[in-house]
Amino acid sequence: MLLVKDSMTREIVTLAPDETVGTALALCRERRIRHLPVLTEGRLVGIVSDRDLRSATPAFGDQARAAALQEILVEDVMVSDVVSALPDDPIEQAANTMRDHKIGCLPVVESGELVGIITSSDVMSALVYLVGANEPGSRMEIAVPDRPGSLAGAAGVFGMCGINIVSAAMGPTREPKEEGVVRERVVVFRVDTIDTTEVVGYLEEAGYSVLWPPKP
Amino acid sequence: MAAQALSGRAAIVHDLALENYGFGGDHPFNPLRVRLALELCEALGLLEDYPFVSPRPAAEDDLTTVHTITYVRMVQKAGRSHSPPSDLLDYGLGTPDNPIFPDMHEACARVVGGVLAACRIVMAGEADHAMCISGGLHHALRSRASGFCVYNDAGVAISRLKEEHPGIRIAYVDTDAHHGDGVQWMFYSDPDVLTVSMHESGRYLFPGSGGVDEKGRNGGVGYSVNVPLEPFTDDESWISCFEAVVPEVLRAFDPDLILSQNGCDGHALDPLTHLSATTRLYEHVPKRMHDLAHELCRGRWVATGGGGYDIWRVVPRAWTALWATVSHQELPERVSKDWLSKWSGKSPVGLPPLLRDDSEDYPQGPRLAKLAERNLRTVDEVVEKVLPRIQ
Repeated sequence: MLLVKDSMTREIVTLAPDETVGTALALCRERRIRHLPVLTEGRLVGIVSDRDLRSATPAFGDQARAAALQEILVEDVMVSDVVSALPDDPIEQAANTMRDHKIGCLPVVESGELVGIITSSDVMSALVYLVGANEPGSRMEIAVPDRPGSLAGAAGVFGMCGINIVSAAMGPTREPKEEGVVRERVVVFRVDTIDTTEVVGYLEEAGYSVLWPPKP
Repeated sequence: MAAQALSGRAAIVHDLALENYGFGGDHPFNPLRVRLALELCEALGLLEDYPFVSPRPAAEDDLTTVHTITYVRMVQKAGRSHSPPSDLLDYGLGTPDNPIFPDMHEACARVVGGVLAACRIVMAGEADHAMCISGGLHHALRSRASGFCVYNDAGVAISRLKEEHPGIRIAYVDTDAHHGDGVQWMFYSDPDVLTVSMHESGRYLFPGSGGVDEKGRNGGVGYSVNVPLEPFTDDESWISCFEAVVPEVLRAFDPDLILSQNGCDGHALDPLTHLSATTRLYEHVPKRMHDLAHELCRGRWVATGGGGYDIWRVVPRAWTALWATVSHQELPERVSKDWLSKWSGKSPVGLPPLLRDDSEDYPQGPRLAKLAERNLRTVDEVVEKVLPRIQ
């Protein structure tokens, strides 16, 4: 679960290096995509984004534009030093790579062959599924001590109430408000219930602080 | 009364058997809320000329217009057997939200029958407006109970009316504090059914859906309208958002019937949500639904109940105000003494003596201006992105 191959697009629109920028831009428009891998005999040799294509050509209204669209070739504007991902990479690694390089997509390559493409919006979709935002549920935020057993303890309270947890995401520690107090982590639970009043009571009794929902 | 001249007849669909829809114990969805509301109407003399119309339960083939037969069978089994099937949980049944109870299929099918009857009475011209306060179970999904809702009464009624009146256009308007997800998904690609839901933002609140971008699919794009409101939204901001969206989208759609879900859980006292409305909202919304029904579809308006979990202080008064509008009667100022003396001993909280909240009792929070501004931004988005798609 949560590997690049679970979220990537497998049907890829590609270009050859000797195609024109005009053709490439038309493809972006028609297929509503922003990134095109460039292949030579099945091997990935580069990638272009709609932004690369646009900034390489004169603006709309410029008389030189029509000619430039036909003259400039993909190989003139593509990035050849391509950052790519493996199908079995965890999705968070792909997300981190995109973030570090400030890029919006990674071609996915296996044994030298292009097998897919993963974009920042694929990562977004994975996040939506990861936090269960596509299923009915209530979102709860609970601060737990940064100590072994805290998450299990909080989760156990839901189990005791018979409430199913749709997803749980735990954040980094945050500094305590007072000195000498154990640092906390905030856990976001998505739970399958419309009525959180009872479980909030039990969580507080067990010593967890419920940050959302607020007290009535 | 001026309204009397405009339109005459109203019907109330109810039966004691409808009050079997409840989950028992301390469950917040307590049928006592329906009892309290109707007894308050009665004590105020608002039911004198309106005998209850008793509905038949919905038949199995009514239910399967929107639910799967597998799910219906599961509900039937759950209510009958002493050893419930183990896959019950896969259907959202047997959870703290939707516990099973004896004969639950019959009780739930009767609620659907009530709303269906109310719709048929109005479509047949036997009444201009009708109310079935037990209805409004808007979270029920195709194959899953959700958020206290087992069968989707509005979903079944709309599907049946579409069969009985080919070409009919139905507007469903949901002002419950929770998103009307079940009804929305059932008609998500249907341009003949407009669903409008105003609710507390799903960023935190159940069911989580109901963003502006949920605007329908395929041919139905534009026919799902969502106005998510910020937590702690008050009457003022809620009403101005309602006025900026609902009349315009209904006019653009031009319905043949308006079906409203009148959950009253957006009240400041409600324990399950974080909105800050008062009875002012629950008087305003029905009045506007009534006026819009006359403006657009010869008065054809069916009102249902919905959520509302402060069953002592809020639900009886909110739904009395609803019935007063449905039946063109003046809303009295004071709660009846008889009703108060019957129930105040049983209520765990003090019962308000007046039908309308005093705004002084609901002081404005410090961040109200900011919330109102954010709500207006949401409304602008709806007006820009969704409204133009409605034809």
